[in-house]
Amino acid sequence: MTSIAPGGEPFLFPGGRTGCLLLHGFTASPQEVRELGRHLASHGATALGPRLFGHATQPGDLLRARWADWLASAFDGYHMLRGVCDRVFVLGVSLGGVLAFHLAARLDVAGVVGMATPFGPPKDPRLLLLRLAAPLVRFVPKGPPDWRDPAAAKTRVAYRVYPVPALAEVESAILAMRSHLVNVSCPVLLMHATEDTFVPPANMQAIYDALPAGDKAMLSIPHSNHVLPLDASRSQVFEAAADFIGRVSR
Amino acid sequence: MSLIMPGAEPFYFPGGRTGCLLIHGFTGTPKEMRFLGEHLAGAGCTVLGVRLFAHATRQEDMLRARWRDWVASAEDGLHLLREACDRVIVMGLSMGGILALLLAAEHAVSGVVALSTPYDSPDPRLRLRPLAAFLTLFWRFARKGPPDWHDPTVAADHLEYPLAPVRGGVELYDILAELRRRLPSVTCPALVIHSRGDLTVRGSSAEAIVAHMGSGDKKLVWVENSGHVVTRDAERERVFAEVLSFVRGLEPSTA
Repeated sequence: MTSIAPGGEPFLFPGGRTGCLLLHGFTASPQEVRELGRHLASHGATALGPRLFGHATQPGDLLRARWADWLASAFDGYHMLRGVCDRVFVLGVSLGGVLAFHLAARLDVAGVVGMATPFGPPKDPRLLLLRLAAPLVRFVPKGPPDWRDPAAAKTRVAYRVYPVPALAEVESAILAMRSHLVNVSCPVLLMHATEDTFVPPANMQAIYDALPAGDKAMLSIPHSNHVLPLDASRSQVFEAAADFIGRVSR
Repeated sequence: MSLIMPGAEPFYFPGGRTGCLLIHGFTGTPKEMRFLGEHLAGAGCTVLGVRLFAHATRQEDMLRARWRDWVASAEDGLHLLREACDRVIVMGLSMGGILALLLAAEHAVSGVVALSTPYDSPDPRLRLRPLAAFLTLFWRFARKGPPDWHDPTVAADHLEYPLAPVRGGVELYDILAELRRRLPSVTCPALVIHSRGDLTVRGSSAEAIVAHMGSGDKKLVWVENSGHVVTRDAERERVFAEVLSFVRGLEPSTA
């Protein structure tokens, strides 16, 4: 009866007064950011990776999801960290990055690390077709993974299908993020793979441009595809995130 | 600005290697468990109070909730405590007690506390379950039963949805069936607390839970002068003390 996919459980690594909230992407699971969380905890942070609603259980659960449910899951993690930490950083991959900016626009957040975050809907021509077919098609299989580290792709805990109606929720979350970016006043580090075939790197520049002037930086990551904290250049991603958090916390 | 009702946020209080997972009830919020959590944390426990899916946001969200979502929310809390604790005691109020017992039936936990927990349908309207697919087409929310608070000052700052979602009643019916099926598999030490003044869930439920659970080490404690929400009502200090004493009894002796 255990309902959460083995390996896809949320995590909490206790540490110091700096909190890191780690948000996974659409159809993925906390496994996507678990090692990053370990890395940050080894640098003294308290790291918490919540499970976004409808993820790591059954793909059908995402048919009932609204994007505000995912944001509420992220808020849950924030509130749990808030009680133990003096400052909370929010890190997110893809949809998780979108949610990170939503949080930063609404709550007291020390800094945001947005990884492979979309500014517009993913550029997969099949997605547009799917949107049209949504009333008829509930699920569509994902394409074969195109990772620089195929071995890491195999360890991934994620749904193998896209629940089609939920794609519209992802798009709503992205569009709502755009109007909130101007309210993000904390330091921001954006990371994007130069070879991201799912969310092209131009998305990073668009988010950068929409953020207010201030402490913001872009980092292009070579030799990786979309899933930055798991793919081949993950060590560089971990180090960059830890450096950013260390610098801002000083 | 949070999406979550102010005061009803989930909570985490770090402490020692004994973890307590606190689970609120149907249409309730983490707030009804927070004061018990503070008491346990004050005694050195690590405490985590989860927010069940669709709770403490907008009551319309409950129309999309299924009981397995709530099991998953409770399991989330168990996993979050794993790293920080050597042993976890799960405890819940009302439907949170059902979830605590279901977790205890499935996962390695050191103990379970069921507070004001139903064993069978607490509301006669749940007998309409076979008609649910039809009824929920046009009947979305139902009135709740009369409040049964004994401490009116606490009642005034209690947070919960004002109405009971009909779809949620369906889920409650189904999770009760699951509870009755799984209770014999609960074998860890157990504490059941119920108030004789509970007008929402009758005391016979507490007796049935104790009778049907597989645990050898089980205890039923009655309180007299409280309503359903025993974690906040007039005898809360006695409830806190009983729970803490149960938790203490599960820790390895340092002598």
